[in-house]
Amino acid sequence: MVTEERELETVDLNINMGPQHPSTHGVFRMVLTIDGEVVTDVEPHIGYMHRGGEKLSENMDFRQAIGYQDRTDYLAQFLNEQAYCMAVEKLLGLEVPERSEYIRIILCELNRITSHFMFAGAFGIDLGFFGTSFTYGFREREFIQDIFEEVSGDRLMYGYFRPGGVVWDVPDNFVQRVREVLPKSKQGIKDLDLLLTDNEIFVARSRGVGVISGDDAIDWGLSGPMLRASGVAWDLRKDRSYSIYNRFDFDIPVGDYGDVYDRYLVRMEEMRQSIRIVEQALEQLPDGPILPEKMPRKLRAPASEVYAAVEGARGEYGIYVVSKGGDKPYRLKIRSPSFCNLSALKTMTVGNYVADAVAILGSVDIVLCDVDR
Amino acid sequence: MSEQEKSPEDSGGEAPAEAGEQKAEAPAEAPAEAPAAEAKPARAEKAAAAPTKEPPPPGGIADLLKEALPDIQMEAYQGLSSVIVEIARDDISTVMRAAKDDPRLDLKFLRCLFGVDHLEEGFEVIYQLLSLTKDHEVTIKTRLPQADPKVASVTPVWNAANWHERETRDMFGIDFEGHPHLVPLLLPEDMTDHFPLRKDNPLAPVEEWQGELLGEHMASAGHIPAGSGFEVEAEAGGE
Repeated sequence: MVTEERELETVDLNINMGPQHPSTHGVFRMVLTIDGEVVTDVEPHIGYMHRGGEKLSENMDFRQAIGYQDRTDYLAQFLNEQAYCMAVEKLLGLEVPERSEYIRIILCELNRITSHFMFAGAFGIDLGFFGTSFTYGFREREFIQDIFEEVSGDRLMYGYFRPGGVVWDVPDNFVQRVREVLPKSKQGIKDLDLLLTDNEIFVARSRGVGVISGDDAIDWGLSGPMLRASGVAWDLRKDRSYSIYNRFDFDIPVGDYGDVYDRYLVRMEEMRQSIRIVEQALEQLPDGPILPEKMPRKLRAPASEVYAAVEGARGEYGIYVVSKGGDKPYRLKIRSPSFCNLSALKTMTVGNYVADAVAILGSVDIVLCDVDR
Repeated sequence: MSEQEKSPEDSGGEAPAEAGEQKAEAPAEAPAEAPAAEAKPARAEKAAAAPTKEPPPPGGIADLLKEALPDIQMEAYQGLSSVIVEIARDDISTVMRAAKDDPRLDLKFLRCLFGVDHLEEGFEVIYQLLSLTKDHEVTIKTRLPQADPKVASVTPVWNAANWHERETRDMFGIDFEGHPHLVPLLLPEDMTDHFPLRKDNPLAPVEEWQGELLGEHMASAGHIPAGSGFEVEAEAGGE
């Protein structure tokens, strides 16, 4: 008997992931095309959280729109407010008093730490550390969150920065409270380090996964830890120094391979550098007014346009304001880092195993409200 | 509130700037601004200080661009945060390709691109370019007529432009010719004829939804069931 030899037929499978999926960090959907275990195509679908913030801001005056900045990237609110306030200050020619600059820097860097704690915790879950890393991250984040609450009166939507400074002065024990918390944060970073950094499973799941080269990263417009993990030493705080960052001594961590593990390492090191900045800023924190002397009651901008960007927790968070005069922006564009970083997802994921898609997405550290705005 | 309604009361500060230097951005508002002449000195100072059309610094990015692209018509001036260069829309591909590849310019990083709706004056597409190696950055602008909002895609130059162009198409209906996959990104797939960020698309009026202050649109929108006993209050509450 002769058996007919036939080739095994294979078919690419489409797998839908999201929008309600625990590993998508929000409402995000992607359709993975897989050949066996290997991803051959990714089609991300975003926009579930689109709330038209740019349009809303056109109908708010310059102070009202601050509230919206908290709602884009809700893990790094102070950094967003900083970018927005810098844009309005540039537009109106407002000079920020020293004390406010320092308060802002301290809060922004603490905010970067909380955001990265959140990342490390959630990333651990993505790689299979059920719960432990998450509770570690959240525990440490909570201590800093308490300070934010004492300063601004809110736990999530701070609305504390104003064009020209901050809305009110920090509590009297602010410096002491931050000094109390910093050692805890250092310990928290150490704990996470011990749990994750040299963990064999963690390294095996993240080394060499989701690689993007430095040139590709620039081409895709990646910024922040994503860009630095690919070996490009670019940090707006150093390279386009804004506010008073040139007064502090800190390093920019850079990765070697541009893989998921490097992104984790870069963020861990950034937390340590942020603590350094906060320590120096606390030393130098001067007394004085928090708003300029001649602060207009109503902010009216001249007809002009301006771009201001900060090094956010996820990358370059920029605000472009087109003004035609009056108390409202004519057009307000938010250049959100998550949006740009997420657009390179396909490049990073194709060729990897389907199980690693979650790790890669986690390493981008997206906030879906920041992606969709 | 529409743009036309609010311009007279807002224009107090700009009148002196108008007199001092010609304003590039808003000729449409000029007639409305003339009558509102009372300007407080502090504000007038600020408005006058705002550089609307100052020449760019010599030897800067504007000169480099002209040197690299001698055949291209461009108008350059110093903006508040960077040098702004205006070019014709037909030149976009040439200029962007050169901006990225020319070693003198080395503008390898596209920060973002987005649209602005100037109503009768058409659409503006603004590109923000940055050099990671050299100490310069530039804002490039181009104007598209309102009736024919089309411009060449820069996605072949920068992959970063891919999603930005899709978003701009969603929000303004600007057609980026040569884009590999110009389908709705942030908006629903079938929403291809409605462009939320255009200025002829105002926000809905604010409705009060609490207590006695039920808004006037409530009844007509069908939020109050007939016969529920609240119809009368809804009308009275509108004041």
